[in-house]
Amino acid sequence: MKSKLAGFCVLLLVILAGSGYYIYQNRTTSIRLNGYLGGEKIGFFEDEEVQKILKKEYQIEFDYSRAGSLDMVTADLGGRDYLFPSSQTALEYYNDIHGKALSDEIIFNTPIVLYSHKTVVDALIRQGAVSVVDDVYYADMTKMTELILTDTQWSDLGLKELYGFVSIDTTDPARSNSGNMFAALLANVLNGGKTVTKAEVQKIMPKLREIFSGLGYMETSSSDLFNQFLRMGVGAKPIIAGYENQLLEYAAQNPDEYAKIKDDILIIYPTPTVWSTHVYIALDENGKIGINALLDEKVQRIAWEKHGFRSNNYDVTVIEDSFQVKGVPEEITQVMNMPEYDAMKEIIENLQ
Amino acid sequence: MKKNNNLKYGRIFAAVLAAFGIVLGLAGCQSLGPKETIHILSGSENKELEEILKECEKKTGVDIEMTYKGSVDIMHILKEGADGYDAVWPASGLWISLGDTGHLVKHDESVSTTPVVFGIKQSIVEELGLAGKDVSVKDILEMIRAGKFSFCMTSATQSNSGASAYIGFLYALLDKKEALTSEDLSDENLKQNISDLLSGVDRSSGSSDWLKDMFLAGNFDAMVNYECLIIDANEKLVEEGKEPLYVIYPYDGLSLADSPLGYVDHGNDRKEEAFLKVQEYLLSDEVQKQIEATGRRVDYNGVSDENKAVFKKEWGIDVDRILSPITMPSEKVLLKALNLYQTSFRKPSLNVYCLDFSGSMSGEGRDQLIEAMAQVILQENAEANLLQAEEDDVNIVITFDSDIKNIYVLEDTDAKEFENLYHTLEQEEPGGGTNMYAAAAKGLQMIADSYDVRNYTPAIILMTDGVSMDGDKEYFTNLYGKFGMDVPVFSIMFGDAQSQQLDELAQITNARVFDGREDLVSAFRNVKGYN
Repeated sequence: MKSKLAGFCVLLLVILAGSGYYIYQNRTTSIRLNGYLGGEKIGFFEDEEVQKILKKEYQIEFDYSRAGSLDMVTADLGGRDYLFPSSQTALEYYNDIHGKALSDEIIFNTPIVLYSHKTVVDALIRQGAVSVVDDVYYADMTKMTELILTDTQWSDLGLKELYGFVSIDTTDPARSNSGNMFAALLANVLNGGKTVTKAEVQKIMPKLREIFSGLGYMETSSSDLFNQFLRMGVGAKPIIAGYENQLLEYAAQNPDEYAKIKDDILIIYPTPTVWSTHVYIALDENGKIGINALLDEKVQRIAWEKHGFRSNNYDVTVIEDSFQVKGVPEEITQVMNMPEYDAMKEIIENLQ
Repeated sequence: MKKNNNLKYGRIFAAVLAAFGIVLGLAGCQSLGPKETIHILSGSENKELEEILKECEKKTGVDIEMTYKGSVDIMHILKEGADGYDAVWPASGLWISLGDTGHLVKHDESVSTTPVVFGIKQSIVEELGLAGKDVSVKDILEMIRAGKFSFCMTSATQSNSGASAYIGFLYALLDKKEALTSEDLSDENLKQNISDLLSGVDRSSGSSDWLKDMFLAGNFDAMVNYECLIIDANEKLVEEGKEPLYVIYPYDGLSLADSPLGYVDHGNDRKEEAFLKVQEYLLSDEVQKQIEATGRRVDYNGVSDENKAVFKKEWGIDVDRILSPITMPSEKVLLKALNLYQTSFRKPSLNVYCLDFSGSMSGEGRDQLIEAMAQVILQENAEANLLQAEEDDVNIVITFDSDIKNIYVLEDTDAKEFENLYHTLEQEEPGGGTNMYAAAAKGLQMIADSYDVRNYTPAIILMTDGVSMDGDKEYFTNLYGKFGMDVPVFSIMFGDAQSQQLDELAQITNARVFDGREDLVSAFRNVKGYN
């Protein structure tokens, strides 16, 4: 009796150990990569379709902590395999502090755009500050900055119900990447359309400071600003600066809500604009595996179709007729380089 | 040997049982485990959503515990790490941004929006011919100067609605169309204009919801509050057969509260999951409609047909109007402006502190009381909580037992004087009986004799354990009726507190009772927020 019981127990143990090993095996066939991720890519990383491909075909899973693009460079990198910021400046900053990165690669891009409401865009078209080419809205940034710098009121543009001066809301350039890049864009525009060098920063600074000091309190996260823009209506935030992918992702993820606002909420492409470059920095050998996985065509396609990030692979970034958001050009042509890291650093320090 | 074997098998069996136990236990946790609770630190205006939150608990299976605080408190608590809270829900996202220095908040999304407006008695609006007109803050200033009406408003340094309205006033009076700067605050005409405008404040409060309650309990001309709370107040006024308020949107100083609900990340995945369930529920179409039915706006394109009746045109509510709020200033300028409100612009306070030094306060009660006074009269402490004195404030301290013991009057704001007063109070010894009515009556008499109450925000603040001889109760009540001044008698309870007599006094004088034993600083911020 006793030995039977013992045998049963041993059998149970074997079963338990066996199934435990099976679960263990399953878990460890994929490598878990740990790193810092810019908040705007969380939706993409949490996408189950993406996770499935990465796990099945590349045997990797991404763990992440959310961090700002510049903050992550100076964060504690112990135990981290990768950084995935949203600007080239972050890579330069990394190389400056830690030495040349083990490996880095641009995964996808998204341009800085303006978001506004139909009534405001119509008024800007009347001013000649916005034009429409092939159903795409383009903003002449020289004219836009002029409107802002000459203290034009909304009512001067025929928008009587809006109170205050013409302005473009942005996130805090010292704390958030989209605000940082928009500051760079304005700096280039103020510099006569040439990328600002460190030597030229002080020349454009007074005007840049004037534009930003009029904004007062600035949000620190681009998603918060975008959500407020969608939520509070034209009176609260007539125009904001953000990433192109924000509306594309919103429309793909919330088709019903988007259908309600699509005639009112418009994307305007600044000419020129700047690219937010989502560059992946591998910190160790494991981290390097992530590069190929993220460049997989299927993954790139999901990144574009469901999250609005533009691939460097032109076969991926195509706009089918079924594309939800209208007024999105297949190619972004008028793009300027971001100022070098040292010039950017000086601009931000002067805006604080 | 045999015994040993038995032991061995026994051990294996136990191990297997334990393994099973763990497996079963884990499975149990998943399906039958205790419900998750999320503790939300919220602005008081969300009290009106309690029914909806109860339903949310049922539908999501997540228990919700609400703690209501003013926005400034929420900012302070966030700064200190928000221990014990899983979520924050202030009136405006501004307070999260200012408070979340540790980057704890995520998933924050606006649940609804509501503008900060003037609600003015319909008869006054008609008399002044304001209905249907575009009214500016400057127009209101002229009406206040001409003595046409006065209003209630929450403290700008304690509550979002008061802060937003006050910042809006500054923009309007300075004619600012872009962000306020530090230099603007030194404008020479500003102090006179804003002080004149704030002289129209007849009652204040530390929180928007209590301002509404106080308004309903008293007889006031107008209040500055959220549109949704004006709607709520009007529903109650109409129910009681009273005159409702008419909503005025001052176009040159308007602000919008966006009511963001955000998760406070203390690294607990199950809490996060529970939070997201609650948030998703509140943002679902059906529940958004229910929230809209409470007078909150959920869609900038307008109000849904089924809730149109809530936003009544005859109350001046205009849902077609594009709400174009002012640009909030940067953090540095905002804090400077709030400081100026406290130290220079607001209507001066006339505080009468009645301190219980009776025998029952000996020991703990007396120590708590002295600690409380340290928080409010030592200016260094007061400043940290935006409670510092302004140049024209009057502070009177009456110590009492069965009789009046000592009276101290401070008519200037020299920090040294405050310190001396504090050390004098430290020396007083408790003993004897308690007669708080005599002390409160003395305070009332002093206010009536020596001050023009219209120029101050007056308050009598009883600091006591609340057990008093009541021989002088009638004397106090009669005196209060005779003077007919709107002087609230607040109480902060200490020691072995009993609140019955204090509640009665609060009821008679449209005030409130606070517990100083739990969170003293917060109790003080509340009391001081009310004057």
